[in-house]
Amino acid sequence: MNIGKQFKEGLLTQNPVLVQMLGLCSTMAITTSIMNGLGMGVSVLIILTAANVVISAIRKIVPDKIRIAMFIVVIAGFVTCVDLLLQAFFESIAASLGVFIPLIVVNCIILGRAESFSYKNGVGASFFDGIFQGLGYTAVLLAMCFIRELLGAGTLAGFRIIPEQFPIGILTLPVGGFLVLGFLIAAMQWALSKSKEGK
Amino acid sequence: MSTKSKETLQMDPAYIIKLTVTLLITCVVVAAALGGVNAVTEEKIDEINRAKTVEAMKAVVADPDNTTFSDKLALTDEMTAASGSVALDSVYEAQVGGATVGYAIKVVASGSQGKIEMMVGVDSEGAVTGVSIVKNAETAGIGSKVMTNMPTASGVGVLSQFEGKSAADGILTVGANVDAISGATVSTRGVTNGVNAALAVAGVLG
Repeated sequence: MNIGKQFKEGLLTQNPVLVQMLGLCSTMAITTSIMNGLGMGVSVLIILTAANVVISAIRKIVPDKIRIAMFIVVIAGFVTCVDLLLQAFFESIAASLGVFIPLIVVNCIILGRAESFSYKNGVGASFFDGIFQGLGYTAVLLAMCFIRELLGAGTLAGFRIIPEQFPIGILTLPVGGFLVLGFLIAAMQWALSKSKEGK
Repeated sequence: MSTKSKETLQMDPAYIIKLTVTLLITCVVVAAALGGVNAVTEEKIDEINRAKTVEAMKAVVADPDNTTFSDKLALTDEMTAASGSVALDSVYEAQVGGATVGYAIKVVASGSQGKIEMMVGVDSEGAVTGVSIVKNAETAGIGSKVMTNMPTASGVGVLSQFEGKSAADGILTVGANVDAISGATVSTRGVTNGVNAALAVAGVLG
């Protein structure tokens, strides 16, 4: 187990969104306000960590042929739990994220990590993998939310920063999501290739 | 994996049973866990939904402070037929001091991005007392302007303009007797269809 390496991978070199290109749909759909991004990021982080731990724990008794089906059942269970708990105790977040919470079931990050990491690694390593990959996802969401909410709506976490007539409204639309994500991916790839050259 | 082991695996009934049983047990365990969570959250979620419904109904009646609401009325075939292509969700009686003063009618109309759940208040004379949006998925910054009752070019809130309209105004149509928010015609049209349906249902109720 190498926590430092896992940390670096989750946030930078193997970032789920910017490098592995997983979970792009939800990334573009919900990153219109900081609160949405935080709610979604934390939800995914919790589900990913829980699913990783459980899948890692049962990996030796899961028959190879039906592993995907088993993963999905476990993931769907956790997602539904989080969905119900959010609806009961964090009603405003549940309302603004809407269908994207149930859709975490098919978020490729979680299935991707189950298949590529927790199915092959121990419980401890899988736990940290869930945390760090979740943090990497949340960090990208927050970066996207920051750019799109600030420049697109002129607010941050609901507080007005830029007067109403100036924001670039297109950034809050799906097309703005593609643009911002494209720039972030480009920046990430540039930074990664720079750091490789330096070595 | 070699192809040979794959073939033997597929042919072996014991292995197939093992797969089935493993998956079955997993599903049962997960279902039990979900049942547990549901038991904890169900009441709380129902409570929140009821509170939200009452809040939405209060927003559409003339005298919110003194109005109480009945339980859901049973929907008749005539009511659902009257609402036409717009789905009729539920109808509540609005009462002041025990007397029925109108109805709060919840309908689900189609917007530009999905369903618009909306509450329409209609008084006993058949005139709209208010329109409020319960749930929607309209585009932020465009269709959402309709949902938050932004003023149209005429200066009246896009939802407020329905107040006082009744079946006597004929079918409400965007462009004819309803003003749309510029750029959000489809969302406005959805809301208008919802109001038409609610007025038709109120007509059945009398």
